[in-house]
Amino acid sequence: MADLTIRIAGEAGQGLVSIGEVLARSFVESGLHIFSGQSYMSRIRGGLNWVDIRIGDTELYSLREHADLLVALSEPAIHCLVPTLATDARIIRNCHKTDSSPEVVCFDFAKVAASAGGNKRMINSVAAGAIFAILDLDLDNLISQIRTKYRHKSIGAGEMNVSCANAGFDQIKEKGITIEAPRRSAGRRGTLVSGASATALSAAAAGVKFVASYPMSPSTATFTHLAKLSDENGVLIEQAEDEIAAINMVCGASYAGVTSMTTTSGGGFALMGEGISLAGMMELPVLVLLAQRPGPATGLPTRTAQEDLNLAVHAGHGEFPKAVFAPGDQRQCYNLMRHAVFTSNKYQIPVILLTDQYLQDAMKDIDPLDTHYEPIDRFITEDADDMYRRYHSTPDGISPRAIPGGEGPVVCDSDEHDEAGHLNEDLRIRIEQQQKRMRKEYGLVDQAVEPEVFGPADAENVIVCWGSSYGPVKETVKILNLDGRSAAMLHFSQVWPLNIENILGKLESYKRIIVAEGNYTGQFASLLRRAGCTRHLERLNRYDGLPLTADFVIRGAKI
Amino acid sequence: MIELRSADNHPAWCPGCGNFPILAAVDEALDAVKVDRRKLVLVSGIGQAAKLPHYTRANVFNGLHGRAIPAATGIKLANTELEVVIVSGDGDMYGEGGNHLIHAMRRNIGITAFVHNNQVYGLTKGQASPTSDPGFTTPVQIHGTKSAALNPLAMAIAANCSFVARSFSGAKEHLVATMSAAIEHRGFALVDILQPCFSFNHVNTFKWYRDRVRPIGDYHDTRNREAAMRLAMKWGDEIPIGIIYESERKPYEKTQEVLASGTLVDQYRRLEAVW
Repeated sequence: MADLTIRIAGEAGQGLVSIGEVLARSFVESGLHIFSGQSYMSRIRGGLNWVDIRIGDTELYSLREHADLLVALSEPAIHCLVPTLATDARIIRNCHKTDSSPEVVCFDFAKVAASAGGNKRMINSVAAGAIFAILDLDLDNLISQIRTKYRHKSIGAGEMNVSCANAGFDQIKEKGITIEAPRRSAGRRGTLVSGASATALSAAAAGVKFVASYPMSPSTATFTHLAKLSDENGVLIEQAEDEIAAINMVCGASYAGVTSMTTTSGGGFALMGEGISLAGMMELPVLVLLAQRPGPATGLPTRTAQEDLNLAVHAGHGEFPKAVFAPGDQRQCYNLMRHAVFTSNKYQIPVILLTDQYLQDAMKDIDPLDTHYEPIDRFITEDADDMYRRYHSTPDGISPRAIPGGEGPVVCDSDEHDEAGHLNEDLRIRIEQQQKRMRKEYGLVDQAVEPEVFGPADAENVIVCWGSSYGPVKETVKILNLDGRSAAMLHFSQVWPLNIENILGKLESYKRIIVAEGNYTGQFASLLRRAGCTRHLERLNRYDGLPLTADFVIRGAKI
Repeated sequence: MIELRSADNHPAWCPGCGNFPILAAVDEALDAVKVDRRKLVLVSGIGQAAKLPHYTRANVFNGLHGRAIPAATGIKLANTELEVVIVSGDGDMYGEGGNHLIHAMRRNIGITAFVHNNQVYGLTKGQASPTSDPGFTTPVQIHGTKSAALNPLAMAIAANCSFVARSFSGAKEHLVATMSAAIEHRGFALVDILQPCFSFNHVNTFKWYRDRVRPIGDYHDTRNREAAMRLAMKWGDEIPIGIIYESERKPYEKTQEVLASGTLVDQYRRLEAVW
């Protein structure tokens, strides 16, 4: 497994994200595997932000902590990030000095950009050219991606950026400094997706037609991506006045028969609690993409966490069935979003998809997704007549769903109601309706997505994880086993409800169980205990705003 | 007009409540403008007025306190062929849901809102509402309400609401006519309906309203926003009732590119037809 990590750092406003994306695409075009992520501050200009692009000759699952190449566009990038570098790392530095060494190449990016006919806003393209030179890659792959990126801008802008990339490339070539890039496989061209784009593509293909949201990092990336897809896929995008409006709009649109979704993050989701409960009571299929970030309150708006598991599982007052899914990687984002649409439509319940800043922004090359438009069944009956009862009691708790506009009256109430949907305070009816709603949970437990086991069948130690920790833990397990240490992974992409008998069976053979997650209190470990797991669960928690990495898990798990 | 099965539950209102004539007027107005009840959705929040949809023939979405408007907005955007009418109270629409009202008026979403305004909270037993006059004493506001009363009509005109009207539960004919015009209006229509609460408001009684309401005369140009604002500011010895302001603004649903080829619900039907 040969791979290296490139860290491009600078200030907000220096075009790090856009050049990171161009580079990622260029690397994929060059036949490399990539995994990229962002680390940024909550500001539009200044500060210290960086983009990590890891390139490899085999599939990559996560980011590494130590970079092999630092491209520093600003002074703080040098001061703060040198300690994060591997021992033999190289640095390309934007500065006025020109005294380069084999380890540190210095030149003035803005001056190089200007001499190439560009301006100081194009230093990111200078950096990209320099990176292609030091890795000895074919510059044409970068140039074609720059042209694609700027195809909607004026022709001049694209070509100026191309000149800047050429000039950056020449700066390094003159000095003859190279790093050996991972082996490239010709003919392999994966699709580059982020968690955010995968969820959006999936929702549109699964027949989500109405999306109402209030912008909030890091969920906004999915909302924006859905807007991009909206005309082509016939999705109505509504920016609501607040999150309470968003969830209630979604409830209304769902009642009217349209697969509907909202996107939000912790604080916004907290405001949606009553609406989630409404969907539970009215038995409306409702989808929520909850992209986590560290709290409490406003917390660290642009960092990552897995802190909202409890919030999601316990969202909404009262008792009602719901499902919570937590995709592990970009492909699972796609597949589980489809599954979430199916689950909410089938059971007529709110379903929450938990991602986080890390997974929203992380890009990876994957085998092409099957994104053709194939709406999930809405399970709508056309047979409703004058005597239609929206909450007719059935053995599995799922009542035939009609929508307004047909022959039968569709009556939904947030109050306890009778089978016809009318407000009712007869306590015998209350018992009947509560039992009817809760019966749906048996189906949800029975159909729960199996946790994924990775690693040798006879492993002694297991690292239990959920959601976006999938990649880092999978990589941990690979590294440990290569090193002769015995470890496996048990990853949960459905975190509620849990099928505890199944889980206990899967945990039985391991001597040590370590639950690794991105929060302080060990929320998933607690959930396992509550569900009936009496095994000793060791905890490994990260809550500094950064994602789990293999480095972190290996240090902490002590296997 | 095709009738749906009539709800068999009986209103949970106090005898003599202003909600009874409003319920009768809603039914009359819907029939007068020939609304197909199968395509009618009555939306409400929580409160005594919000129970009204259960007592007539319609599809019903009786949602959360204060959230009738966003739910109704979602319903309308999902299926623009539905007639969406909100029936709820002053606490629900002006208090808990005030923010949504402002933004629904900005959007000009094609829904009709009938707000039962009795200037008091009924379901929670007699606390001040956003429209209670200053000095109004309640078990909570024991020294009298200190805040100014919200003027919903002036607020609506300021927010560029495309249909703004007021009526009175005790003026049946006027109420039915105003409601009918509101339902027929394309865009967001707000009708503030003055209504006595016999149990909890002993100041603004039936007589109090009856002595003050004055139908707006033909002299008023309902398209004149400044004149409308002057009329909306009137409150006290004389309270104007009738259509105060109306304008031709494109309803929000007509501005949506993805709805140009049909409703969202129809998008699935078209696809299913291909299968």
